[in-house]
Amino acid sequence: MFNKDFKEILGIQIVSMTGGLFAGFLLAFITNKLEVIPGLLLLLPGFLEIRGSISGSLSARISSALFLKVLKPTISKQKILYGNITAAVVLGIILSLILGVVAFLLSFLVFQINYPNIILMSLIAGVLATIIEIPLTLSATFWLFRRGHDPNNIMGPYITTIGDIVSVCSLMLAIVIL
Amino acid sequence: MSHHHISQKLRKQVIKLKRHRYHILQHKIREKHNVSRGTVFYMKEYGPHSHVSSVIIKESFKMLVLAALLTSLGGLGIQGIKQNLILILPLLIILPALNAMVGNIGTVVSSKFTTALYLGKIRGSALSSPHIKELFLTSLVIAILSAIYISSLSYGLAILKGFEFSAPLFLKIISITLISTLLLVFLIFGISVFLGLKIYRAQEDPNNFLIPITTSVADLGSMLVFSLLVLLLL
Repeated sequence: MFNKDFKEILGIQIVSMTGGLFAGFLLAFITNKLEVIPGLLLLLPGFLEIRGSISGSLSARISSALFLKVLKPTISKQKILYGNITAAVVLGIILSLILGVVAFLLSFLVFQINYPNIILMSLIAGVLATIIEIPLTLSATFWLFRRGHDPNNIMGPYITTIGDIVSVCSLMLAIVIL
Repeated sequence: MSHHHISQKLRKQVIKLKRHRYHILQHKIREKHNVSRGTVFYMKEYGPHSHVSSVIIKESFKMLVLAALLTSLGGLGIQGIKQNLILILPLLIILPALNAMVGNIGTVVSSKFTTALYLGKIRGSALSSPHIKELFLTSLVIAILSAIYISSLSYGLAILKGFEFSAPLFLKIISITLISTLLLVFLIFGISVFLGLKIYRAQEDPNNFLIPITTSVADLGSMLVFSLLVLLLL
């Protein structure tokens, strides 16, 4: 059981959790904002999850394509690569908007809080996170594959690490912008 | 008799074959281009005559919306323990790491299971496959080690931020994280194997469905179980 896969998964899991703890530590600095901005805690898990899902699926599709040799491990003009990037951008923006609307509606219906700015906050943070995360996901997947690793073992945790920090920072930036 | 003629018995067997499972053309394409069955399947999804981004958006969108809704429900649990999170700092610090940890296990299990399906490593009953048994054991051990790691480090970080150390509270936080994690590993594994096989057999790419489902179930589950245990134990 303690083979190459185990070591790869555990190693990157530790890196990922440390990233998550760092994101949590960042949250500890804005406890006053968490108290004041209604629906922010409600938005947070969904926002982190969706970012991870979009980039995670992107990396998994790219990994399958690389293993099946229908994609070259370089950022170049390839139909499958461009299709994947377009889909990830479109999904990232639409889903951020949906998450904002859901957070607003749930806050309004469950806690009787009327704070529509949460929608705009989610959208701005989503756009910022998409712009940063997609190039990081692709370059890391290709790099790992070229070096003989299985991106499936490493990319999920790597994405959540980067994704969590980028997402919390994007949300903090969106709070500042608004 | 010419070799083009086949016996009646064989003809009946050929007629009974389910064509959508393995079309005769697939065999010809594989032979001509010397590619695996997985490659033919992948090219059916993302080949020269398909619009790659539309296929991905079409197949992923519903799942991601479902994931967004499910995880937002988990957010309700977190919003419900808002005061505990603000007062007991290790709980707030641990949240993204717990989220990441169970999400990671979901992603690794889903993507490794899907790749194993594509590469033909799973034949017959998935649960009796040695490949799957090893994947389960690996996930379980990693989950236990991870739960202990994040509980300890979140408390350490909270102390750095001025939070006082209390041994009973520390033990409670480790228990809450361990219970949440173990429950979630079983759930993630069950979903990945059951749905992964179903989606693959329906000739779709499990990569587009499984990761959003497992990670959102993991997130929703971990947030709800975590919130519930915080309310019960603290």
